Amino acid sequence: MRPDPADVWIVHLATVTSLGRSLQELWERLLAGQTAIRPLSRFSTAHYKSDVAACIPDLVAPMGKSMMHDLLNRLIKEIEPVPSDAFLITATTKGGIDNLERIQRGGCADYSDILLSSIPETLCRRLGLRTPGVNISAACASSTIAVSRGAAMIASGMRDAVLICCADLVTEFVFSGFSSLGALSPVPCMPFDRRRTGMSLGEGAASLLLMSPHRARKENRPPLGKILGWGAANDAAHVTAPARDGSGLTKAILGAMRQAHLKAEQISAISAHGTGTVHNDAMELAAFHRVFGERRLPVFSVKGAIGHTLGAAGGIEAALGIKALSLQTAPPTVGFLEPEVGAEGRVRGEPVSISGDYLLSTNSGFGGINAAIILGKAAPK
Amino acid sequence: MIAAITGLGWVTVAGMGRGHDRTDFAMTRGELPRISQKRVFDKPCPHFGRMDDLSRLGLAAIGFALKDARLAESGQKRDVGIIAASAYGCLKTDIDYFETVMPNGGLMASPALFSYTLPNCFLGEAAVYFGLTGASYVINEASPSGLASLHAALGSIAGGEIEKMICGICDLECPSEIPMRGNGPVGALFFVLEKVPESNRSPYGDLHLDRRGIVFFNGKEIKNLVELAQACLVPSPK
Repeated sequence: MRPDPADVWIVHLATVTSLGRSLQELWERLLAGQTAIRPLSRFSTAHYKSDVAACIPDLVAPMGKSMMHDLLNRLIKEIEPVPSDAFLITATTKGGIDNLERIQRGGCADYSDILLSSIPETLCRRLGLRTPGVNISAACASSTIAVSRGAAMIASGMRDAVLICCADLVTEFVFSGFSSLGALSPVPCMPFDRRRTGMSLGEGAASLLLMSPHRARKENRPPLGKILGWGAANDAAHVTAPARDGSGLTKAILGAMRQAHLKAEQISAISAHGTGTVHNDAMELAAFHRVFGERRLPVFSVKGAIGHTLGAAGGIEAALGIKALSLQTAPPTVGFLEPEVGAEGRVRGEPVSISGDYLLSTNSGFGGINAAIILGKAAPK
Repeated sequence: MIAAITGLGWVTVAGMGRGHDRTDFAMTRGELPRISQKRVFDKPCPHFGRMDDLSRLGLAAIGFALKDARLAESGQKRDVGIIAASAYGCLKTDIDYFETVMPNGGLMASPALFSYTLPNCFLGEAAVYFGLTGASYVINEASPSGLASLHAALGSIAGGEIEKMICGICDLECPSEIPMRGNGPVGALFFVLEKVPESNRSPYGDLHLDRRGIVFFNGKEIKNLVELAQACLVPSPK
């Protein structure tokens, strides 16, 4: 028997990105078509294939600590009070890896920042949460899977409040790695554009407070949006390259729609992963074609504006997806000009109106992982 | 009952193997045995020699667990997910990779090593080799119990997302370059959970998860995955 569709409310959202300290500022600058991708000054890029990224300009590493502390501090300032019984799930790919760089270069730095479990530990302490949280590491799908697991805990009745926090930094460690793989674009990335040559890295953080409808009503917290379904799948094809036919992403999307009891024609827009690499974007378009056929629903990527924020991408994109649904506007895909085959009439370089109650948000990453969530409007038509 | 445990595999300081072959399981700290491909896989695993230590360790233990559940040989893609708990993840590989970045301003950064600097990459290797198309991710928590992976796996099965999951723990010793004192066991231990067992071999027992998040194996509360493995290997009364 198919389980009932999930009804998980999102009652608070916050983002900190290179386009501003708040979700509202990010939304406004995104709609204006701005990009934060610019020349890097954090480390030398002389030997790398790119010299641009979307960094938060004044992010600092306080006294032997990772820059992650500054990023989390900024996020905490944006988070409304969280119930102390909320369960915390964080998502990051490399956490405070900048401290490993310092240690290996012979400097002094806090070792504990390097462990990914230090992020839930820090946030639990700072937010006064009673239960130790966990971190999910699933490459660039980390926060989408974290949101899924949080929603699953609420849907099953195991928890009635879950806080999702996700964060990742632009570091030389990560930048050099993607450069060595030939994955970085020398110019700001151009998702779904036929001239695209790679990704641009970015940094940022986001939080989503999820509640059961019962708990939210009890706390007088109206929904900003809903999580209605989720799915995840592995390509089982290659560890660092996506399956060309989009089979893993297709499976993840179909799983999310099945759980939400929705058909493809009910989805009004897609917040795509859209990294700007040749293979990722082609794989996504293949998957969208398999699920949605020739239908030209709006598809957008925010990575041309804020870069690829890795483990934080899915959380930031879910927050923007809720904004898009509530304002019935898909943001522009900054950097997009000439459509790749399959992107015609779907991806646009300017904001576009959407009409409907459901938005699909997808992410894919190393290890062959793909994840999809279905977001719902707070008050459907 | 949410799921039955149908397979159990490990690589630990004390040795490596699977539950239906041996009962001398132990998980402590110390030096792990060398893993030979021949001992683990029935067919060649082309990249095994090039993988980092964490991937070889995890892939071997997952292989033993699947073989134990008689799910290793299908040769077809199948809907099985994998969740691993890990404290240090790929920290050793991170260090090795950054050693290649530091000289010459990153000119010689190794793409091969960078590919393994995400903790979930070894799950990708397992997914590719065994054709596992379910969700795969790593959970990092302060507790060395590994229970978070079991919770998540049971949650996915109970929620109707999937019917077969592999879950467990996978950790190398904390690298000597990072003077942190580890408190968890070293090695890898994985369980195969099935909603409906596929093989006609008797499962080890049944798992339940209550609303408080407490896991029960054959009616007894379980506090960590090592304890669960030991409970699986207790000979059943005649």
